[in-house]
Amino acid sequence: MGLRDRLEHVDRRDLMATKKSYSVFGFQVSSDLTLPELAVSQRVEPSPVNIQAAEQSQWPLLEPSHHSTQTLQLGAGEWRLGLEGIGWFRASNGQTLEWQRWDDSVSDRDVRTFAVTSGLGAVAVQRGLLVLHGTAVERGGQAVLLLGHPATGKSTLAWCLVQRGWRLLSSELTVVDGMGMVWPGIQQLKLWNDAAERLGLDWTQLPPVRRGLKRYALLPQEVACAEQPLPLRSLYVLRRRKPQATSTDHADGQLRVSDPFSQQQALLSLRNQAFQARVYRGMGLEAGLFVQAGALARRMPLRALQVPDGITAMGNGLEGIDLLDPASLLSLKGEGSDG
Amino acid sequence: MADSNAYWYLASYPKSGNTWCRVFITELMRLSGSSSGETDPQELNLNWDLNTGAIASSRLWLDDQLGVNSCDLGFAELDPLRGAAGGSAWLFAEGERYHKVHDAFRSPDSRGRPVVSLEGCHGAVVILRHPEDVAVSLSHFYGWSLQRCVAFLLDPEAALVPDDRHGGQQVRQHMGRWDQHVMSWVDQQLLPVLVIRYEDMLTKGPETFGALAAFLQLPTDGDLVEQALANTSIGRLKALEEKVGGFAEKPQGCERFFRSGRSGEGAEQLSLEQREQLAAGLAATMERFGY
Repeated sequence: MGLRDRLEHVDRRDLMATKKSYSVFGFQVSSDLTLPELAVSQRVEPSPVNIQAAEQSQWPLLEPSHHSTQTLQLGAGEWRLGLEGIGWFRASNGQTLEWQRWDDSVSDRDVRTFAVTSGLGAVAVQRGLLVLHGTAVERGGQAVLLLGHPATGKSTLAWCLVQRGWRLLSSELTVVDGMGMVWPGIQQLKLWNDAAERLGLDWTQLPPVRRGLKRYALLPQEVACAEQPLPLRSLYVLRRRKPQATSTDHADGQLRVSDPFSQQQALLSLRNQAFQARVYRGMGLEAGLFVQAGALARRMPLRALQVPDGITAMGNGLEGIDLLDPASLLSLKGEGSDG
Repeated sequence: MADSNAYWYLASYPKSGNTWCRVFITELMRLSGSSSGETDPQELNLNWDLNTGAIASSRLWLDDQLGVNSCDLGFAELDPLRGAAGGSAWLFAEGERYHKVHDAFRSPDSRGRPVVSLEGCHGAVVILRHPEDVAVSLSHFYGWSLQRCVAFLLDPEAALVPDDRHGGQQVRQHMGRWDQHVMSWVDQQLLPVLVIRYEDMLTKGPETFGALAAFLQLPTDGDLVEQALANTSIGRLKALEEKVGGFAEKPQGCERFFRSGRSGEGAEQLSLEQREQLAAGLAATMERFGY
């Protein structure tokens, strides 16, 4: 049975499944959905976060904050997402994540795609954690955090690093605590079809992130993962370099790093990379976000990491450098914050 | 001035004068002292000041509005949601109220719904340019052959970022044939429309840009409009582009964003057969707008 079949099988079994325990972002989850992108937990905690099916029509009325949108309803301790054709999700008070599928055509895989990223991200925010758009990787017991909004190349770069002996800590969203520790989170890399092809992966054997998408999930079976919180050693915000067709610079395919941002620039940049500024604000938690982002900006220099635009070039650019040591990278002059 | 939450779309097929309009708006606001950001009091900086608003297809903006990673949605899921993105008074950052959009008003995947938010929107400026000239400009911009550009203008499936095999900073933007694109905006009944032609921007500048300023509830003082127009002439924009070492919106391989700006290049550079192909495919709409 191939991986794709195994996952379909798991999806079908979920209908009758009992609850399973996982750990993510430093808290334990008890879920009625199978979540292969999370680390299985053997510990038993008295009050895990409950992920459970629910009837959204029974949810209490919410007076949404004016930061709400048509799909996202926000209030104190409340985050609700309604996606037409997919389903409804509700995170409340950092304790429960409820979901209801739109109709029977919606698979568990569809549900968990949004429950695990947006849903658990919202739960983590409600629990007072600093949640950033970023992918964290580990080597030698130290973590590197690659910040960047979707489609900036975090997963491709992380996959290239995993091929070089690094381990994945968390992808898409990453939690950094007040001690500068990075917590294991979502352990799945999502690669688009063109990236998978260029990286030499047989995408026909990979499960799509969701049915019909040409975007594939690399789960812990394919990706070495770290299972313990680890100290953050380097912090970067990713930038894609536009390839210059006329460039004769032999170093054009290299990764480059900027000088550290000023603390004020770093704070603004971290705030912009939060998952999501709107979510924090809409739940009345923005002050905490600034305190946590400020503490991180003081603790750890933030640099821009410019990566080549091409997927092959990105992998080649890692030769001879060490992301744990920014000094090993070529300097990127004149780069400021993205604030 | 308009209320602080009002916003408009600047809708056009690519390479039809949209950026010129945005630069003009920025310059008019700068000259009239109504810019909200920090701007150079002496001169417009193309790469710093041109923050008239997010393009409606910005993935970052959509993700923020929808609360999910839009890479996890297929076209048939995303397009119907796009019009719902932004139905709040906090739609756009303060001062960023003029939003470029290259999408057709609806897409084949949007279930008949507009792909842009209507709530709070005060209208759409629809910018047209002769399709022969669009073909030449597209050719320089993307490095495509003229024949490919002619075929693109006639392609009912034409889109920007059309490939579903990779992500990007912008989502797929369905445009369809040039005439379908134009009519999708001009004939929709949900937003007030001001139609302006690129050719009139060139030859009847004060009148055309004055109408633009009035529609967008910007200052309409004749001297200000003329000064903003003079400061954003194609010659001036070419000089400004050189000064900033390349306009940030210029794609890979494109030598310069602001190139000639002339009208009539299509008639000079397209073959008779190519011109006939465009005329045959787009005749009704071209005639309607005096082409």
